[in-house]
Amino acid sequence: MTRSKPKYKGDAESSSDEVRERSVAELKEEGIMVGGLKRKHSDLEEEEEKDGKWDWSPAGLRNYQQALLRISLDKVQQRSLGPRAPSLLRHVLIHNTLQQLQASIHMSTAPALPPEPLFLGEEDFSLSATIGSILRELETSMDETESPQNQVAPTGLQNEVLPQPDPVFLEALSSRYLGDSGLDDFFLDIDTSAVEKEPALAPLDPPHSLFCAPGSWEWNELDHIMEIILGS
Amino acid sequence: MARSRRRRLPRGGNDFQWCFSQVKGAVDEDVAEADIISTVEFNYSGDLLATGDKGGRVVIFQREQENKSRPHSRGEYNVYSTFQSHEPEFDYLKSLEIEEKINKIRWLPQQNAAHFLLSTNDKTIKLWKISERDKRAEGYNLKDEDGRLRDPFRITALRVPILKPMDLMVEASPRRIFANAHTYHINSISVNSDHETYLSADDLRINLWHLEITDRSFNIVDIKPANMEELTEVITAAEFHPHQCNVFVYSSSKGTIRLCDMRSSALCDRHSKFFEEPEDPSSRSFFSEIISSISDVKFSHSGRYMMTRDYLSVKVWDLNMENRPVETHQVHEYLRSKLCSLYENDCIFDKFECCWNGSDSAIMTGSYNNFFRMFDRNTRRDVTLEASRENSKPRASLKPRKVCTGGKRKKDEISVDSLDFNKKILHTAWHPMENIIAVAATNNLYIFQDKIN
Repeated sequence: MTRSKPKYKGDAESSSDEVRERSVAELKEEGIMVGGLKRKHSDLEEEEEKDGKWDWSPAGLRNYQQALLRISLDKVQQRSLGPRAPSLLRHVLIHNTLQQLQASIHMSTAPALPPEPLFLGEEDFSLSATIGSILRELETSMDETESPQNQVAPTGLQNEVLPQPDPVFLEALSSRYLGDSGLDDFFLDIDTSAVEKEPALAPLDPPHSLFCAPGSWEWNELDHIMEIILGS
Repeated sequence: MARSRRRRLPRGGNDFQWCFSQVKGAVDEDVAEADIISTVEFNYSGDLLATGDKGGRVVIFQREQENKSRPHSRGEYNVYSTFQSHEPEFDYLKSLEIEEKINKIRWLPQQNAAHFLLSTNDKTIKLWKISERDKRAEGYNLKDEDGRLRDPFRITALRVPILKPMDLMVEASPRRIFANAHTYHINSISVNSDHETYLSADDLRINLWHLEITDRSFNIVDIKPANMEELTEVITAAEFHPHQCNVFVYSSSKGTIRLCDMRSSALCDRHSKFFEEPEDPSSRSFFSEIISSISDVKFSHSGRYMMTRDYLSVKVWDLNMENRPVETHQVHEYLRSKLCSLYENDCIFDKFECCWNGSDSAIMTGSYNNFFRMFDRNTRRDVTLEASRENSKPRASLKPRKVCTGGKRKKDEISVDSLDFNKKILHTAWHPMENIIAVAATNNLYIFQDKIN
């Protein structure tokens, strides 16, 4: 499903890269905090400043949630670009924020659309595909719904039980972080000792204390990945 | 006129008259990313000041001895040693680059003529020895003065080489390399008060090392969930207690601090103390968790308190009180209404550090627009100062700055919307005994000193 509204002023379908670069370029140029979202965000900021607290009209809140969703989606897509390992701290903070957004969106729209889990047997572990489709579904469900009957009270967020974290979202995130490069890795936990011709070296004594042996974590992760592939 | 030299005792923050002393680094508008300073640290005596940058280099400045013939040089810091600590690497297994950026430098206490420091990037910690050489040997038998080997058959007599003075040369050599122990990115290193061990912390684990042993480390904290899907919290900083060698703390992305005692168990997964301030429900927003994430934790020199830095504030905790901090200082509360924009431009993820002065009576931390903030814990006063080239006349006093949060902007005030969010002061350091501070502003290092009365 495609987004019908232009994301940023004067830009019909900008890629996340362009949007990000424009924001940064504008920032640098003007040396002030004006991103590409100025038109939408100055409205949002004014609203935010006016009240300072969470006492908004449903429409205002929905716009705000939509903007935050789009920003978060950009960030998640950004992360999969670039040669450097992503920051786990940033990933966890964005993910937790997205969860809160999902929770409040589910509260404000009825009924909540459970996202279709993607079949992970396909080779595409790309983050953008899974997150993008889930969040686009949420956005369109928000667009289509009438303004909600109930006044959304975000202060109730902390009292509500958050819905289960979206499994596909999280699995994709965790597998991407682990840096899986393909299906080759999945065969590593299969015992090939009968096949290998190399002479067996004398096994090292198991450590008596807790050593941090490099590589040991990977074996747990591969089991986990196998479960996802086969079990979901 | 004879004047008795008064021993300078550290005083409260706002009694200071901070003056510009020096600035190091290029003046260019175009800053090379490799030159961006990523860590600043004084050594135990304060005579040495080390900086690390994104290009993996370490630059050490040494304080000049105060000199009667040059009274105005008053203990200036000049370059002592420069070396490449870390190089960029490539992890072939994951097809990812490993940045050479120096995340932290920590000095070891000095035990002999040489100086030792630990420097770390995301994956590897190195112990560097910095030593001076001011003599060289002359009169070798087997080689000429220019180094060419002599023909052994030509040598008819032996002589004893003699030592001759030479121009001082400072050499840095890597003595230990502690590698392959961190799957995730190292955010902290901390030398233990036993001076034999140190800890290194990444997002999910903390390891304990012996300084002499590089092929093993002990895992003392592991918060990695069995199922990575359940991960909601990471380790953001860790530090050893300054006096109790069995105690350390680590902070998290959810604004909590755990104090652990290594005597209780080998794997310190269960904390001895848990510090968390209950959330104020009236100020809750989608960003509450992000801004509560602790970016730095530092024990006071006394060991009685610790300080944490989150996005908008600095908190001082009494180690005997877990349910709330004893002090909270607002760094830039005017940013609370801008959190959405700061989330969009990623500034909300900036990790500011904080530091104590030598007597624990004042604390300092950075902000945006090259501003930094100082809080006097005794008088409860605070001040905002700026590190800029414009205010960089020798011994010029720093003028306090003020951010206008609304209404009519007074003269000399700056409005929130005019702040430059690219000019961030993330790293600051305070001399362990004197009123000298080092402030890193992107690629420039500013040194300010208190005016002598």
